[in-house]
Amino acid sequence: MRVDLILELLDIPGQLVNVLSPISGFGANLVTVIHRRDDKNDDGMIPVKITLEGEQKNLIQCIDKLKEMEITILEINGVVSKEKLRTILIGHVIDTDIRNTADRINKLKGTYIVNLEIKLSDEGGSSAMLVIESDFGMKDIVFKKIREIANEKSLLIINEV
Amino acid sequence: MRICLIGFGAVGQGVVKIISLKKKHVKNKFNIELKVVGVSDSSGSAINQEGLDEELLLDIKSKTNKIYNYPKYGDNSLQGIELLDNVDYDCLVEATPTNISTGEPAKSLTLKAFNDKKDVVTSNKGHLALFFNEMISKAKENNVEFKFEASVGGAMPIINFSKKTLPSSEIESIIGILNGTTNFILSRMTSEGSSYKDTLEESKVLGIAETDPSQDVEGIDAACKTVILANSVLGIDCVYDDIEIEGITNITSQAIELAKKEGYFIKLIAEISKDKLKVAPRLVKKNSPYAIEGTLNMATLKTDLAGDVTVVGKGAGSIETASAILTDIINIKKTIRE
Repeated sequence: MRVDLILELLDIPGQLVNVLSPISGFGANLVTVIHRRDDKNDDGMIPVKITLEGEQKNLIQCIDKLKEMEITILEINGVVSKEKLRTILIGHVIDTDIRNTADRINKLKGTYIVNLEIKLSDEGGSSAMLVIESDFGMKDIVFKKIREIANEKSLLIINEV
Repeated sequence: MRICLIGFGAVGQGVVKIISLKKKHVKNKFNIELKVVGVSDSSGSAINQEGLDEELLLDIKSKTNKIYNYPKYGDNSLQGIELLDNVDYDCLVEATPTNISTGEPAKSLTLKAFNDKKDVVTSNKGHLALFFNEMISKAKENNVEFKFEASVGGAMPIINFSKKTLPSSEIESIIGILNGTTNFILSRMTSEGSSYKDTLEESKVLGIAETDPSQDVEGIDAACKTVILANSVLGIDCVYDDIEIEGITNITSQAIELAKKEGYFIKLIAEISKDKLKVAPRLVKKNSPYAIEGTLNMATLKTDLAGDVTVVGKGAGSIETASAILTDIINIKKTIRE
């Protein structure tokens, strides 16, 4: 059987080889690789489409290995598996225990904060940008959790449309 | 068509100006003869059944700020609702300032005109945001036309557009930028890296923000428009108090910088659907239809058949808003003929 994957990789030399080398070890064949350099995003990541062929159990092992290597799998057989969400929090983001805020978001199933940047304001308080990667379909749950935390800590929340 | 205009501020003067500019065009193209027979401001009124001179009205207002100084036909004893009993007209153009506490004087003026079997065109949001259903039912009861395209998005076509151009599609939601002042402030903060406070001051100097900008920056104006669109386009029975509102007063330049770095802008977005009635600052992608700048307004209508349809236009300004009023006046006459 075959499986199509779209991975998100950093556009640096050697990155693709590192990702593909474990595949043969699981008895799967690499059928195609399409490197979409023109679609590089603002974080320097590019989508790479690969097609693998092999026994079902071998293909599952390959996918598990990629996940273990913390490679982002955007799609499996055309089904979106991960999405990136962005949100800004404004207020006393640090004083209201930013660690606690991050931990509570990270506890959600298949959800991780992959980037957190904070800027202090001249008038007190701070603004934080959270880039969150979550399993597809988790968006509403993630935003609900952020809203709950923001209300509790009196933070202004700015979510994506 | 004999027009009685109440409210002679920026929008009212814009209406008179474009009637002066376009009356020949309207006559030639639609066979509608526009005549301003009564005008009222806070000082008094001017009435002439044969028609007032538009340029003279504007000149008197600009020089004396009081319309009762209009030669021969000026009257300082009649204003507002009293004018309606003293002039014979076909259509009331109601352009008084929005009052979100009581909806007055727009509500009383409009109901009085309906009872007198007159059509009404308005740019006012207060009475619509507070008493939408009551206003619509009274218009129907009296079998008169009631149009309010100018109350949402100035020159951006949306209410008439959704009804006349997209009747085959069901509109599921509307997401848009419905306030030009806040869009200007947020756009400037993004391009200049300036603080909210400094940008608001700059907007006041430029005449984009009012001396008391609270209706705009606290999201009240956008919330009123949200109620109007929810009721008139999506058929959601709601009033102002049903809207969840967060303005832009707490937006920091640091937040805007962080958004920009990720390829996003912060915009004051109105979201209108059966599940959500909300006005709040949101992140929008740099190259998306929401990334409009300056005082522009936009709205994306999500439809079942036509997909996403986006409209953009100037959301404020005397002539732009007046253009929507004139369109409504022309449409009333066309509807009556049809």
